[in-house]
Amino acid sequence: MKKTLLTGTALVCLAAPAFADELNIYYWSDSIAPELIEKFEAETGATVNLDGFNSNEDALTKLQAGASGYDLVTPSQHFVKIMIDEGLLEDIGAADLDAYGAVDERWKGQWWDPENAYSIPMAYGTAGFAVNRDLYDGPVDSWAAYFEPTEALQGKIASLSYPDEVVGAAQLYLGVPFCSEDKSEMKKVYDLLMAQKPHVAAYSSDNIENRLGSGEVAAHFWWDGNVLRTRNGGANVEFAMPQEGLVGWLDSYVVPKGAANVELAKQFIEFMSTEENATIQYNYYAHSAPVKIDEAAAKYTPENAPELFPTVPVEFSKACSPAAQDLVTKVWTDLLQ
Amino acid sequence: MKALRTFRFWGLAPAWLLMGLTLIIPIGIVAGVSLGDRGPYGGFDWALNFTSYREILFTMGWTDELEFDPKYLMIIGRTLAYGLATTAICMALSVPVAYVIANAREGWKPVLVYLVTLPFWVSMIVRVYAWLIILGNEGLAEKTWKFFGGGDVDTFLFTPGAMLVGMVYSYIPLMVLPVYAAIEKLDPALLEASHDLYGNRWTTLRRVILPLTWPGLSAGAILVFVPAIGTVLEPMLLGGGKQMMMGTLIQTQFGGGRNWPFGAAVAMVLMALVVIVLILNARRAAGAAKEAAA
Repeated sequence: MKKTLLTGTALVCLAAPAFADELNIYYWSDSIAPELIEKFEAETGATVNLDGFNSNEDALTKLQAGASGYDLVTPSQHFVKIMIDEGLLEDIGAADLDAYGAVDERWKGQWWDPENAYSIPMAYGTAGFAVNRDLYDGPVDSWAAYFEPTEALQGKIASLSYPDEVVGAAQLYLGVPFCSEDKSEMKKVYDLLMAQKPHVAAYSSDNIENRLGSGEVAAHFWWDGNVLRTRNGGANVEFAMPQEGLVGWLDSYVVPKGAANVELAKQFIEFMSTEENATIQYNYYAHSAPVKIDEAAAKYTPENAPELFPTVPVEFSKACSPAAQDLVTKVWTDLLQ
Repeated sequence: MKALRTFRFWGLAPAWLLMGLTLIIPIGIVAGVSLGDRGPYGGFDWALNFTSYREILFTMGWTDELEFDPKYLMIIGRTLAYGLATTAICMALSVPVAYVIANAREGWKPVLVYLVTLPFWVSMIVRVYAWLIILGNEGLAEKTWKFFGGGDVDTFLFTPGAMLVGMVYSYIPLMVLPVYAAIEKLDPALLEASHDLYGNRWTTLRRVILPLTWPGLSAGAILVFVPAIGTVLEPMLLGGGKQMMMGTLIQTQFGGGRNWPFGAAVAMVLMALVVIVLILNARRAAGAAKEAAA
């Protein structure tokens, strides 16, 4: 009896087929349209394996540990810079790809990849905070609503589990420059976050959609397009436009050094950057497209998607010096000790 | 004789090789990393540098002075406290459960034991997520609470209680199984003898059942305590990540903190704590065996 039961369960758990031509992608969870993955597989006969991350730090750590087994990763601009400097990326001659021709001029030759050798932009947007309008009807025109909540939001706020953009937002609110190496300035950031902590329900980057959509919390640190998707899914959420500004990000396709399938990875980048596919991807992912898309077929406009067209200044995250990064880490570990 | 010795050597060689490759060398690497120099953006360089261990007690303050900082000691203390609480609750709950299984009809026993092990077949993350739904807004816990006339609750989630519930739930099978094995072996005649000698139920439990099942309980305690102090998922998902535990501290240092040597140093401290617990337990078991022999 016992034996049959056990073997039965074991058989159910066994399922691990192997294929020859594989593309292993490490990406922001759910950030690529599933229909495009299927289309790519049908066109090339390759198998695409997807593995998701929820923070740039996770992606960086995986690559640093070596032999990650991934062929394509999609980190944000400041992490692209760090990965290039640390010698973790493959020079794919991005400027020679057809995809490069599709890239909007404003994203070419940027500080994170000045020679356009390693990366092709995938999507860009902003990080800010969103509120559930069923639970909170107060103003959201300043970061004050989030960092120094009034009673309506106290205990109903959630933050991310990593400091990266949260500290950036606090810096915007306080007027402290990104990557500050000034201890007294960073102490102010720490004091602000520490004063906010008693009102924070959770520091978590997982499962944000449910936490905010279901009303478990009333305000959450979040990204523009995710708010848009959740709002279109029927939740009464609003992405705040704080006057102090939003934290900008741009994710790019990069290939880790020593990837097994560099050619297939490049093929995938080309595939994703064609006008038709980029439009499908834009409509699915709901973050702004840094490559040319078919405006007529694009689903989102300033009218129906105000999240994607910020009316306040956007400041892009930078790659901090080790000294500045240490202060960011200190703020965060002291906060969560 | 010599042939036997050669056979013993080669016969055991695969086991030693496995131990070396999967246990000793990885621990050596972690120890090595903990002594390394940190890379500016994570990673490390080999060195002989004890800063990471010093950092557990002394950190650079906001005023640029090296100061004694109890924050990491507090994290270690908190981790041990949660580990002990989890172990104690698991113990209290698993004795009656194991007792019922041991006294069930013969045909039912394997089924009940199988049911206890069933959760192991499901990914731990999925099981912890299930608790998010149970404890969340309008979840089963809140509905039950209100059904029995409980007042308004903000949320059960993101509290130390939620974290403890998750930890007890995750590790309790590891306690039930050894306790069940111990109770199963208990001779009913001894219970009858206790009653014949005018021992009431409480005395029987205290003087007969518990001492005889102690090996099972202590084995279970080790099996629960050791993974409980290394836990990461429950504090992050159910506790809301507001209070760091050693597991989450190590994870942060390898991730956002970009200080691998310090993460490795904390991991070494965690391992040392586990080894101390194991040694204490082994010594007590040896003492008990000697006493029994005398």
